[in-house]
Amino acid sequence: MTEADLLLLRRGGGLWGVATAEVRRLVDHGDGVRVELGDGALLADEVLGVAPRLAVRPPGAVLRRFWPEPCDGIAVHRGSPVVVVDGRRPPNGLAAAEGEASHGKQHR
Amino acid sequence: MKPATPQEGGSLRCLLVRAGDYLCAVPVASVRRVVRALTVHALPGASPELSGLAEFSGEPLPVLDLARLVGAPPGATPSYPVTVVVWAGPPDSHEAVGLAADAALEIAEVSPSSVVGGGGGVVRGEAAVGGRPVRVLDLELLGAAR
Repeated sequence: MTEADLLLLRRGGGLWGVATAEVRRLVDHGDGVRVELGDGALLADEVLGVAPRLAVRPPGAVLRRFWPEPCDGIAVHRGSPVVVVDGRRPPNGLAAAEGEASHGKQHR
Repeated sequence: MKPATPQEGGSLRCLLVRAGDYLCAVPVASVRRVVRALTVHALPGASPELSGLAEFSGEPLPVLDLARLVGAPPGATPSYPVTVVVWAGPPDSHEAVGLAADAALEIAEVSPSSVVGGGGGVVRGEAAVGGRPVRVLDLELLGAAR
């Protein structure tokens, strides 16, 4: 088990987390938010904020067997499960399309 | 087919659960808790057997659809669905997993010698319990690659 400071996102009804150290900026994108990272970007329906020192456990064999998407671990935040992703290799549905430009307002 | 671990009197004590149109026998030694159906959050791209992730005792818990896992035909809409939290995988590296089922029914003794068929996957085989066919599960195989 490790601890991590995570930016929490909601996408497709689920909660996702990415290390805050990977996040460069947040930009409005259509009805959601584009989370620009050091290497790549994610699309979120909503950004919920930062969860500091969240306890992250590695995905077990059962989860890997039935959900073989890339994943750094799983955690719980305020009673809800969180899937922790590597911004360089996000699962399908979370990654922003390559070459997709961000034109919206930047969050500060 | 791996022999069942005998309990007292050489029988395997199991929790009978209903999953779709099937009765399944879950070894009691593998059962951690039976709770009211947990709220599950689906994961995009997951296999149909994986309902998603839930929170259980402050920990994230993968929840499998037991009826899909054992290939059960759909049954009547359950009145009080449950999540059976079990230990899955080999004993030296087991993990907690939830099995979404329609109902937890009773404890029954299954004679290992009566288990036949080797249903494949997580189903060790089939046995008759109280005159009813029951799929006996082997949760040590749950984390194994398909």
